[in-house]
This record gives sequence, C-alpha cells and structure tokens, in this order.
Amino acid sequence: MKKGVMRPGHVQIRVLDMDEALKHYVDLLGLIEMDRDDQGRVYLKGWTEVDKFSVVLREADQAGMDFMGFKCLDEDVLDNLHQDLKAFGCEVEEVPEGELKDCGRRLRFVAPSGHAFELYATKKQTGKWGLSNRNPEAWPRGLQGMKATRFDHCLLYGVDLDKTLELFRDVLGFDLAEQVLTPDGKRVAQFLTASMKAHDIAFIDHPEPGMFHHASFFLDTWEDVLRAADLISMTDTSIDIGPTRHGLTHGKTIYFFDPSGNRTEVFCGGDYHYPDHEPVTWDADELGKAIFYHDRQLNERFLTALT
Amino acid sequence: MNNNNHTCLEQETVTEHLITLNATEQDGFRAKSDVSVLVAMERAGQHLIPVGCRGGGCGKCRIHVLQGEYFSKRMSRAWISPEQESAGTVLACRIFARGDLVIEPDPPEIRPQSQTK
Ligand code: FES
Ligand SMILES: [Fe+2]
Repeated sequence: MKKGVMRPGHVQIRVLDMDEALKHYVDLLGLIEMDRDDQGRVYLKGWTEVDKFSVVLREADQAGMDFMGFKCLDEDVLDNLHQDLKAFGCEVEEVPEGELKDCGRRLRFVAPSGHAFELYATKKQTGKWGLSNRNPEAWPRGLQGMKATRFDHCLLYGVDLDKTLELFRDVLGFDLAEQVLTPDGKRVAQFLTASMKAHDIAFIDHPEPGMFHHASFFLDTWEDVLRAADLISMTDTSIDIGPTRHGLTHGKTIYFFDPSGNRTEVFCGGDYHYPDHEPVTWDADELGKAIFYHDRQLNERFLTALT
Repeated sequence: MNNNNHTCLEQETVTEHLITLNATEQDGFRAKSDVSVLVAMERAGQHLIPVGCRGGGCGKCRIHVLQGEYFSKRMSRAWISPEQESAGTVLACRIFARGDLVIEPDPPEIRPQSQTK
C-alpha cells in the first residue's frame, strides 16, 4: 500500500577525484551541473528532471555511495513515516533543511542491508533543463555525451534482504516487483518499486553490508544505448558489460565505471508494475539468463566488483 | 575526452617495462608507462590479476609490488590503508610502471558484517 513515497530523488556518490568525475558524469553521461556547495560537493541532474538536482558528488578517499534519498508527497508524510520508521526499530536522524543546497529537511536511517537512505519532501524545482513548462519543445539543444534523461534507480548489495523488504514494503509502501529465489525459497535478489517502474531500488544478497553496485540513468531508446556504447569506446572508458538485455525487468542496458570505480548504468525500456501484480520470479539456477538475457551466463566482475 | 582513468600525464616520454609475477615461470607482460599496470595486462591478453572497475574503487586488482618503481594515483582507502600503500600493497589499476616490476596478486577477501560496521 502506498505510503506517500514518490520516487528516487537523489544519490550522493563518493569519488576519488572531482575533476575526473565531472568528465564522466557531465561530459560523458550528459548530466547537467546545477550547483556546488562550500563542502566542494557538486550537484547534477538529468535534463528531464524537474527538481533542481538528483546526483551529488563528494570527493573522498574511498569510492561508494553515501546515501540514496526518496522524495515524498509532503511534509506530513515525512512526519508519519518518521514515527513508523522508529516503530520499525530504525534510528532516524533529522538532517536540517539546507544541508543539501535547496533541499528541505531529510530523515536519514540505515536499512537492515547496511545502506543509508533518506526521505524528504521539499526540494527547489528549477524545471526541466533548457525547456519551458509552457508549450515545451521536444528536447533542449546543447546536451552532452549520452544525454541521460534522469536518475532512475540504484542496485545495492548487502545483508538481511528479508528485513530490508519488510522495511521498504510495510513501512515505506514499496511493492516487490521482481525477485530471484533459490530452490529452497531464499530470496537472493529483490526489485522494489514505489511507482509503475520495474524498480526504484534493488537489492542483492551479499555478506558485506552497505555495498554499492550501480546508479542507473534512463535513456529513451535502444539506439541511444548503442550510441552510449560508442561513446564509452571513443573515450576509452572502463566498460563492464553490454550493450545487452536483462531477463529481470527486461531492460536494455550497458554498464561502465566512473574513474573512481563506481559502476554506472544507462538503460532503456523495461517492464511495468501495478500494485495488484504478483511479483515476477526468476529461479536462481536461471540467474545467468535473469541477469544477462543473451549471454545466459554470469560475469564474475558484474557480481563482485563493488564500491 | 580523456578521463585520466588509464593515462598518467606526469611523464614526458613513454617508457616500456616488464611486469613479472613472483615465483612463477610465466612470461609476464610489457606495460607502457602511460597505461595502468592492470590495463597493460588486459591489452596483453593475460589474466594474472583479477579485473574489476579499473578505477581504484573495488579492490579486486590488489597486488603486492615486491620490486620496482611506479607512479600511483589515489586509490580507495576501503581496500588500501596508508601503511599498506607505503609497503607496496597497491591497486594495479592505479599504478603506472616506471621500471620493471615484480608483483604478486592479493585480491581482498569478502568482509562479512562485523568487520565493516
Ligand atoms: S579494478 Fe577495481 S580497484 Fe582496480
Ligand atoms: Fe540497474
């Protein structure tokens, strides 16, 4: 049942070198630089996003994800969810308004998987980049690289998938859209949605808590994914795998790495989910096909290179 | 665009060096000074070191350098402490040979819950 959580709103990613990172996220991926703050963090977004930013880069001495934030309908929803999170047993920290520029107060908590998440309801809206909200053109000129349209989801590796599902489903109102089950019924992957998308957040079972697998960005067409692959070669960017299709969600995809080793995905297509749909299930012995629908076998790097 | 991921500009002329594995009869591979040791290995079609992100983030390419000079770029502290780095434990995707190297792969173990909290 929906609890007022709308969508993935932002992700803060740690990078080893900000200048190199900006070449990746801005010049290659095509995000727009929107702002910087006095901590040196850089705020980016995809051109179709209405809110001011969705990706925050922070220079640090290790790679990985600081937190992922979900935007909620309004401030009352935040107050209710604060209580519900506490009742579930989460420690909730209130991050004051303005800690991220032009963003309202955020509730931060750590999920049983070991990842930090945030809920917030207020962020400055600057509108789609380069377009008016009145009689808008189809797209703005001056986009770079892959022209990523929006931040779409993250895939995270961590512990305690069952408890994490309980938190996201029962407290935050996500649905389980897809899952991977072992023969004895253990869930080793779960794809969760707060919308109609096949996933807004996904988790894979892994003995280390709090690991980051990828942040993903949406493209319109398969042709765009192919063009992204061309750009990856042209720039000699570290590739993981693709272009290919997933069995899970059926998205068409390519994976590559930022210069600090964080994985980036761009993809198009994919299934949709309504709240009355049963979860789609893949059997763990079909995992190769579930992850890479064409190769039908797993790639060691995809499973184990994490930040 | 040059994302600096594979390239190091600190040197004026590109030199070439031999990278060999400690205690093996294997041939090793040649590495140009402007390409990371890991990427040089991949280009030579070898599999001596596990390949992950190639960006110093995932730790998979961790090695000990037993002998030889190299230049290194920042590598994630999640996998290499300052002490390890100065003792020659490094990420192969973040070092650039400045002389012939003798190396030994040292991929990190998975760290279960208790150690990372
Ligand atoms: S391959 Fe990931 S740290 Fe070197
Ligand atoms: Fe993804």
